[in-house]
Amino acid sequence: MTGAFNGPLREFSRRTALGALGAGIIGATVASWPRLSGTDIPGRGDNSLSIAIMGTAADAAARQRAIDAFTRLHPEIRVKVQAIQAVDWKDFFTKILTMVAAGTPPDVVYVATEGAQLFAEKLAHPLDEYVRRDASDMVEFFNDVHPSLVEAFMYKGSLYQLPLDWNAANMYYNTTAFAQAGLERPADDWTHIDFRNSLAAMRKARTADFTPYYWTNRLFGGVVPWLYANDTSFLKETRSTGGDWLWDSFYANDPSRSLRSGGYQWLEPNADDDRVFESFDYLRGLVKDGLGVRPEEGGGSSLVGLFASNRIGTTPAGGYWVQGLHEAGMGGNNFDVQFFPRWKTQRHQFGTAGYAIMKTAKDKDAAWEWIKFSSSREAMELIFPSPITTPARRSMVNEQLYAGKGPAHWKTFYETLDRFPTTGPIPAPPQQAAVETALMKNVSLTVSGDESQLKQALASMQRDLELALRRQS
Amino acid sequence: MSTTTPPRERPRQTAGRAAPAKTPAGNGRRGQRWLAWIFLAPTILGMGLFTLIPIVASVILAFFRWDIISAPTFVGFDNFSEVVQDPTVRVSFLNTIIFVVVAVVLQLGIALALAVMVQEKMPDWLRVFFRSAFFFPLILSAASVSIFMRYLFNEQFGVVNWFLSLVGIPAVPWLTTPGGSATVVILVYVWQNFGFSFLLFIGGLASIPVETYEAASIDGATGWRKHLHVTLPLLSPTTLVASVMAIISALQVFDQPYVLTRGGPGDSTRTAVMVIFESAFQRLEFGQASAIGVLLTLIIMAITAAQFRLSKRFVFYQ
Repeated sequence: MTGAFNGPLREFSRRTALGALGAGIIGATVASWPRLSGTDIPGRGDNSLSIAIMGTAADAAARQRAIDAFTRLHPEIRVKVQAIQAVDWKDFFTKILTMVAAGTPPDVVYVATEGAQLFAEKLAHPLDEYVRRDASDMVEFFNDVHPSLVEAFMYKGSLYQLPLDWNAANMYYNTTAFAQAGLERPADDWTHIDFRNSLAAMRKARTADFTPYYWTNRLFGGVVPWLYANDTSFLKETRSTGGDWLWDSFYANDPSRSLRSGGYQWLEPNADDDRVFESFDYLRGLVKDGLGVRPEEGGGSSLVGLFASNRIGTTPAGGYWVQGLHEAGMGGNNFDVQFFPRWKTQRHQFGTAGYAIMKTAKDKDAAWEWIKFSSSREAMELIFPSPITTPARRSMVNEQLYAGKGPAHWKTFYETLDRFPTTGPIPAPPQQAAVETALMKNVSLTVSGDESQLKQALASMQRDLELALRRQS
Repeated sequence: MSTTTPPRERPRQTAGRAAPAKTPAGNGRRGQRWLAWIFLAPTILGMGLFTLIPIVASVILAFFRWDIISAPTFVGFDNFSEVVQDPTVRVSFLNTIIFVVVAVVLQLGIALALAVMVQEKMPDWLRVFFRSAFFFPLILSAASVSIFMRYLFNEQFGVVNWFLSLVGIPAVPWLTTPGGSATVVILVYVWQNFGFSFLLFIGGLASIPVETYEAASIDGATGWRKHLHVTLPLLSPTTLVASVMAIISALQVFDQPYVLTRGGPGDSTRTAVMVIFESAFQRLEFGQASAIGVLLTLIIMAITAAQFRLSKRFVFYQ
């Protein structure tokens, strides 16, 4: 037996081994050439419309039904969706920029408010000419979409994206925790004092393994909703002129027409404003008294599980949370949503997202056709079949979407815009990444020490924001 | 020299070099040389493409302003002067140096203590177990370890605080205060990296001759004195290598503070490499990122050179 093996093995010379190794390397290189050369990237090397979205391959597959419907309408346009995994929007934009640097940019990118002005300033092509050209087709869309969402995508008088989904920072509350504390559903116009009292009642009812208020340290849903409610922000908010072409065409009769502009501008820091101090001091008080958690750095990936296991009383979040809570086992009656508490105002913060055409797009007309189709009710129903977000179309935020999942007051989501038309987008100038870093790095310090530390942290934030805005202006 | 000795004929030279003899042996050497180059080619190519060219490009880029999208513009030393004046960069370098000092001392101290313990007083099977166990964290991804640790050290819901509460210690704000977050970052980093130094020390200890310890015992040295006067001096070459590697690695720390604390609270755990990453990939200031990278490289080179210079005094070779 041994001899039988030894014979052929002895004949297996070093030269043969090297040859086999060489052949193996060549074979592997040939086999993986599409990956090595990047030709397997959707849309590369052909004239397909390449669309980048943030998400997984499963997210890309979920869009396939929309692509199929689009292809039936436009058989001449081939569409390929490339899902790019990222920790957050900032990470996603970085990856898109890397593709731009590599000379392989996508034609269309799904961009959230966080990156809207970065893209508008440097990468995206305005939609004005297309919206004007196809005005008759677009009337129905704009009739169904609140102007606040559209205005978030105006930049220096031009429109760069059509909002497809959005979320406001409403206040979720755990109905079990509220009941244990003897609390009723809060009033629509509850104040920040009422909110604090509710937290204190929950704290009293449950002393251990429970946080009455959980919030995260990021641009959406962190400190900003409190600043907006207190009629301020950490950046001075102004508006561009222009944009009348859109408002007069599509929102001439809207009650909030006079509020609309050519887009938001955040040109100066505002962390030294007294109301900013007041808002941070309020949060510092919640943390100090054990009513609110210190804001975790980064996102709140553990939040759904903690909320669903009744260990969190309240937290700000948008309609995107409903499906997650449902999947985590929460019944529609176990949680509910209310407007964010009122302070000087009850202005909310929101974020929205939609497709942007890249300046480098091979075929901008085809890209516009995709965007126009994606904004249709048919496409949006295919892309958002469940409450994983709040659709930008008012008509889609209906009983059917939340059936069997809750919350009872799902109407709160869209009513936020109707009831508070000054509700504004995430403060995200083109320097958003630097601005977000400046905010996040100082927030923890503001709420974890005494008053003098709070003042120091806000001074540091002001300095960092000045630097961030000056650097890339 | 005898006059009868014929003068030695100088070999003919072609362009100043001796012509190689055309012998079968010479052909063999040439063949071997080609084979050597073939085997070296992937490494040389890799080094050139992924190390040398990026280094040169980075140095060049340090003199330009570039945001990926627009064309680069030459700005001379502006990036360096801006970087030096930037308080965040200054703090991050200070943090890095503090981190290096604390983490390296802990890493080497723990590794040495455990190596001595494992090498001396363990049955073989337990020794093998500990060698594997201590090395195990090193093969884990730093990012995944850090994500896991975030949950462990969560102030409200973390297991660490739960254990502390069992003995009556109130919840510690591990990741939300400057002191707490720096402590966690150092602990996690040291836990994950001491295994490498541990293995180096195990190797070093194994190379110390038993006779040296026997001679020390005869001279009356007891356990602790034996380590002080025999183990430490004879382990000094290993200590030098371990410390150089630990310092270079610690100067480049990124994953743990980035995932655990994102550099916060404030700038308390922001490190030099984090600032490079943030400048380049978040703020799109590739010129400034390169300038910081160049400065960090110079610091690493200076520290390493100083270590080798100092080593002449403290390192003993058998």
